[in-house]
Amino acid sequence: MSEAKSAAPAIAVEGLWQVFGSNARAVLNEVRVAGGMRETASKLIDKGLIPAVREASFEVASGELFVIMGLSGSGKSTLIRCISRLIDPTSGAVRIDGEDILTAKDARMIELRRHKLGMVFQHFGLFPHMTVSDNVGFPLKMQGAGKAERRKRALEVINLVGLEGREDAYPRELSGGQRQRVGIARSLAVNPDIWFLDEPFSALDPLIRRQLQDEFLNIQATLKKSIVFITHDIAEALKLADRIAIMRDGEIVQIGTPTQIVLNPVDDYVREFARDIPKGRHMTLGEVMEPMGEAALAGDWPELRTGMSLEDALTRCAASFEAVPVHDGDGKVVGMVRPENFVKALGGETS
Amino acid sequence: MTLTRGSLAALVTLIIGAICLMLEPSFDWVVKWPAAWTLPITQWLGDGVGTVLQVLKPGTRLIAAGLQTVLDVAGAALAGMPWPLLLGGTTALGWYLGGLRLAALGFLGLGYVLISGYWIESMATLSLVLVSVPMAALAGLAIGILAYEVPRIKNGVQAVLDIMQTIPTFAYLTPLLVLFSFGPVVGLIASAIYAAPPMARNVLLGLERVDSDIREAAIMSGGKRWQQLFLVELPAATSQVMVGVNQCIMAALSMVIIAAVIGGFGDIGWEVLLTMRKAWFGPALIAGTVIVMFAVVMDRMSFALSQPRRSHSSRVLMVIGLLTLISAAVVALAYPDPSRISLLGGISDAMNSALTDVNVSYGASLDSVKNTAMFYGLLPMKIGLDNAVLPFTWGFEWTSSHTVWYFATVIGIGALLAWRGHVTGGLVAVIVAGMLETGIAELPWPFVLVGAAAIGWVPGGWKLARLPLIWLTVILLSGLWDKSLQSLYLSGAAILACGLLGGLLGLWGALSVNAWRVLQPICDMLQTIPLFVFLIPVIMFFQIGDFSAFLAICMYAIAPMIRYTRHGLTTTPDEMIEAAVSSGANTRQILTEVRIPYAVPSILLGLNQTILYAFAMLVIAALVGTTELGQLIYQSLTKNDVGLGLASGGAMLILALVADRLVQGFAEERRKALGL
Ligand SMILES: Nc1ncnc2c1ncn2[C@@H]1O[C@H](COP(=O)(O)OP(=O)(O)OP(=O)(O)O)[C@@H](O)[C@H]1O
Ligand SMILES: [Mg+2]
Repeated sequence: MSEAKSAAPAIAVEGLWQVFGSNARAVLNEVRVAGGMRETASKLIDKGLIPAVREASFEVASGELFVIMGLSGSGKSTLIRCISRLIDPTSGAVRIDGEDILTAKDARMIELRRHKLGMVFQHFGLFPHMTVSDNVGFPLKMQGAGKAERRKRALEVINLVGLEGREDAYPRELSGGQRQRVGIARSLAVNPDIWFLDEPFSALDPLIRRQLQDEFLNIQATLKKSIVFITHDIAEALKLADRIAIMRDGEIVQIGTPTQIVLNPVDDYVREFARDIPKGRHMTLGEVMEPMGEAALAGDWPELRTGMSLEDALTRCAASFEAVPVHDGDGKVVGMVRPENFVKALGGETS
Repeated sequence: MTLTRGSLAALVTLIIGAICLMLEPSFDWVVKWPAAWTLPITQWLGDGVGTVLQVLKPGTRLIAAGLQTVLDVAGAALAGMPWPLLLGGTTALGWYLGGLRLAALGFLGLGYVLISGYWIESMATLSLVLVSVPMAALAGLAIGILAYEVPRIKNGVQAVLDIMQTIPTFAYLTPLLVLFSFGPVVGLIASAIYAAPPMARNVLLGLERVDSDIREAAIMSGGKRWQQLFLVELPAATSQVMVGVNQCIMAALSMVIIAAVIGGFGDIGWEVLLTMRKAWFGPALIAGTVIVMFAVVMDRMSFALSQPRRSHSSRVLMVIGLLTLISAAVVALAYPDPSRISLLGGISDAMNSALTDVNVSYGASLDSVKNTAMFYGLLPMKIGLDNAVLPFTWGFEWTSSHTVWYFATVIGIGALLAWRGHVTGGLVAVIVAGMLETGIAELPWPFVLVGAAAIGWVPGGWKLARLPLIWLTVILLSGLWDKSLQSLYLSGAAILACGLLGGLLGLWGALSVNAWRVLQPICDMLQTIPLFVFLIPVIMFFQIGDFSAFLAICMYAIAPMIRYTRHGLTTTPDEMIEAAVSSGANTRQILTEVRIPYAVPSILLGLNQTILYAFAMLVIAALVGTTELGQLIYQSLTKNDVGLGLASGGAMLILALVADRLVQGFAEERRKALGL
């Protein structure tokens, strides 16, 4: 039995359409062209409907951190709302641990949300009339948990997100970063297996964002949940993701690991995203090294590992070269430079 | 265990109440404020204001004569012109403002007035409105602009406007009677005074809301101040100003109808009053409907002014105009007297006898409805269980052993609540039960003072605690305390009923779209009808007395409660609903845990409006024979007693304003708590 369960991906999405507008389902069925997603979409638009998600298909493995990325308005929130069934998709299938949730009864959905699913919102979605610990304990209250039990569990997750001491504050008394920590804590209160996060850090300033990203990675390292994480920030996506799906106009244009996205963008849209990314930081030695073959290497080499980023490796290699003199216009020697100085100046790490 | 603010306030109130109960048997003054301790405020007011009025009188009498002339001309013009002119003119105006819908409304509305047989009386009313609205609108515009231009006086002006709209309508009339002597001019001026504040308020609001970009563009274009104001800012605020015009017209109409109690102008309000007094309910209903028609036509048409307008075919306008002129000519030659067109005369008689039949055949059940409500609801609230429970009402006599058992049970329940963690709830339960045993009209004054102060202290601290303390003491000193408690009881009963029923209806409207489809037009209608008209149906079925007054107040005051409750419940931000759904909340949990708590400020505002509406209606309800302040105000009118009118009007104003501030205090505190 456990065999069958682990075989099913945590989330499987198949041919998912979300069309806004009146009578969307009927119109979609009417204009649908087999295999012609673009054609179908343009027909829908002609009829005045909005195809916000267009035939999305992907799978998220258990324990995987899956990032959906795209510009504003590309349909990311709509997609995640379909998967968590906050809205009913127009067509397609969503399976969670193999269970089709689009046909699930309301009572079953409530059951799932109470035990299995957690969600963090772009604009926090905190309840202004409840304290931090009441907010965090809210999902437990929905299950009918008692006051003491709620408080105990709330304090646990509040500590986990680093908000200890603020449990009796109201949301209005917190900063943006603290509010989002509350949102995160609330979504973790029931210890869900599957975690949805809709641009959780977008409303925060860059410093706080980086700090929360690091903490998020720490939390994930211990909890190992299956995660769908939304962002419009490529750096955030690359930093966090096991795999990334890139969306444009409701369509998923590419799915791949961060390296694949950076190295092999499928089109200009994706390339544009990856353009400003320092490639050396996201590629690892394993991806550029050649097979050993016949060559015999000897000597005192810097220690390189396959998982190292190119930047790291370059710094180490550069350190093993001699310094080089630098001349002025008249050919007089005025100074010297070590290869590792180049790497440092260009933004790489130094050992 | 630490006490919250609420439970502390409740505890203090409870202790004071208990002490009063114990002192009561031996010290009469705890309940009855001794006459020896009062100040002759009524007399001072009468003398002081009387003297001022006498000084002003020669001037105002002159003004009165002038206005009377204007009024006569307008009245003669309206009554003298062939009726098709007005009917066609209204239809054409309706077409211009809102196309077919409003044209039809105008035609049918005026058509009804015509066939009702009250054309002449209606024209008298219309001429009053026609003269008073421009006066009020201009005055309001001037006040609004002034308050906008001179920021220093803005707060003061707003406070005065608040008070002017809360002063009981009849209280305006007594001093005006002295100044302008009996006659329609008093109604005219009262309605102009009453209708100016809403205009002023909206002008100010509109001007303040003008986009700063627009304002700065006007400055940079080099306009003088008056050019900026009249060429840019006021036009930019048009839509809000037009909302003001709409409210101004409705207030003027309402006051003109109310002023009919002075009599002497043969207008439609007087007709209603007269027929009602004679218990001719057929004609009263028909004349009342005429008033409603006027109100609906005026309201919908002037409301259209504030909406963006599509232009409607001018060809249709011309056709209407032509038809109007032709029929006017025909009518002028052939049927000069519109009062003879009384197509409803037969219906009116039939209705009269039908109503009499209803009253005869269902009289017993109507009476039993009334008696049940009185014996088990209103009377105990008024004089307390100890006096209201009699063999003749409840079937047994309330004795002191009942009192003991009653309090023992109540304290038990309160203690149970407190033990379960609801300390405030338990204390409040005991207080309310105690009030029910004593009766609102017989509450000891120290208890009322401390209770009101405690209620204010919870959300607003000492500042809000002081306000009721000071002002209620003024009422005590004036000697109007008894009557004030009676007012408190009657309005309190109505507010309680409206709060519960209105809240439930609002909830229903929030949960079901179809329910709101039914409720919305009803609310619109209830808020359009001039107050006076509410008296007709209640007095028809339940005769005069507290129960009729209670019903009339409820009918008028329930609409805002329904509206605000629904509004609060339907405007929960989507993100909060989504957060609740994804936390696994079911529909009921979303309602009780998220939507209702979030709607509390809005619901409190609705309650606040309901309170003000209830006090406004309380005065009018004096006409169906109440025994409280409203009655005093009404009597002062017939006795021409300025002092009594002002003092009792002032006492009622105090009650309304204190209630208003207390509820606002809670609403404000909740809004802050929700970060709104
Ligand atoms: N309820 C709705 N009705 C109609 N259109 C909608 C609705 N919700 C979303 N849309 C449309 O669907 C498209 C995708 O919206 P969505 O909110 O999913 O974008 P997003 O990628 O999350 O953007 P952002 O980064 O700004 O949050 C947009 O064009 C939006 O206007
Ligand atoms: Mg979004």
